[in-house]
Amino acid sequence: MINETELIEQLKQGDETAFKTIVEQWKDMVYNTVLGIVQNETEAEDLAQDVFIKVFEKINTFKGDSKFSTWLYRIATTTALDHLRSKKRKKRFGFLQSLGGDGDEKESIPDFHHPGISLDNKERAAVLFKAIDSLPENQKTAYTLHKLEGLSYREVSEVLNTTVSAVESLMSRANQNLRKQLEEYYNKHYR
Amino acid sequence: MTSKEKIQQEIEQTLQSLDGTKRAEANPFLFTRIQARMNKKSSRWEERAFSFLSRPAIAVAIVVVVMVVNGWALWGNSASGSNETVTADTNVSELANEYNVVASVDNYDYENMTNE
Repeated sequence: MINETELIEQLKQGDETAFKTIVEQWKDMVYNTVLGIVQNETEAEDLAQDVFIKVFEKINTFKGDSKFSTWLYRIATTTALDHLRSKKRKKRFGFLQSLGGDGDEKESIPDFHHPGISLDNKERAAVLFKAIDSLPENQKTAYTLHKLEGLSYREVSEVLNTTVSAVESLMSRANQNLRKQLEEYYNKHYR
Repeated sequence: MTSKEKIQQEIEQTLQSLDGTKRAEANPFLFTRIQARMNKKSSRWEERAFSFLSRPAIAVAIVVVVMVVNGWALWGNSASGSNETVTADTNVSELANEYNVVASVDNYDYENMTNE
């Protein structure tokens, strides 16, 4: 079996077989990461394609200073966050356009179901994902990488290009924010 | 158990609901889709060039330029036309004689293989 360094060198030469191997090897990792951030399966599939196209186009900028997987996680998280930002901008623009309408704002319900969640946790996880969606970008990224991809704090710090203590602090603030969100939710919906 | 305690319990259970989550699997045809998108992207340059050239203003401008160039070439030819025609005819017959080229099929003697 061909090793990672050789594979990357071959991809730098534009080898299509090497590219295919890379896609096949890392597609679930990329898809799961972007899915955790954007919380929409169709959008996540398109974004996973975007990520690999970027990998193909930018492979010559990869110097090997970090692990390939770290580099890939960075592209995946940045692509997903960029997508969310552009979606938010469009939403804001749509809201401005709809001003003057009936102004009937409906409360959004938790509707994202991650395919890897067991059936008994499905409803609870949907509520948690709704809360995760309201976290600031860096907390959301750290939380997703740690909880959904199972990365250690050290690995998360490498992806975010920060220190382990900064990640600890991000995770602690993310947990506090999630507790607050969930408390509000259950106060409203718990009978 | 008070309702506040129950809510706290709900929160704890919800926070733990992602524990043991399996990795979501990507579409098995992801690579084929990426390939299709990359091919589409590379043909986009040609599409853009074509759509630029097919704009009415650009198309009309190109036609005008071609007509001006043709007109200029024709005008140039007619200005010094007759002398050059004679020279060209002479050159052609000299070349034909030199290489024994048959000038016309009508006066060629197939039997003797000569021009009559």
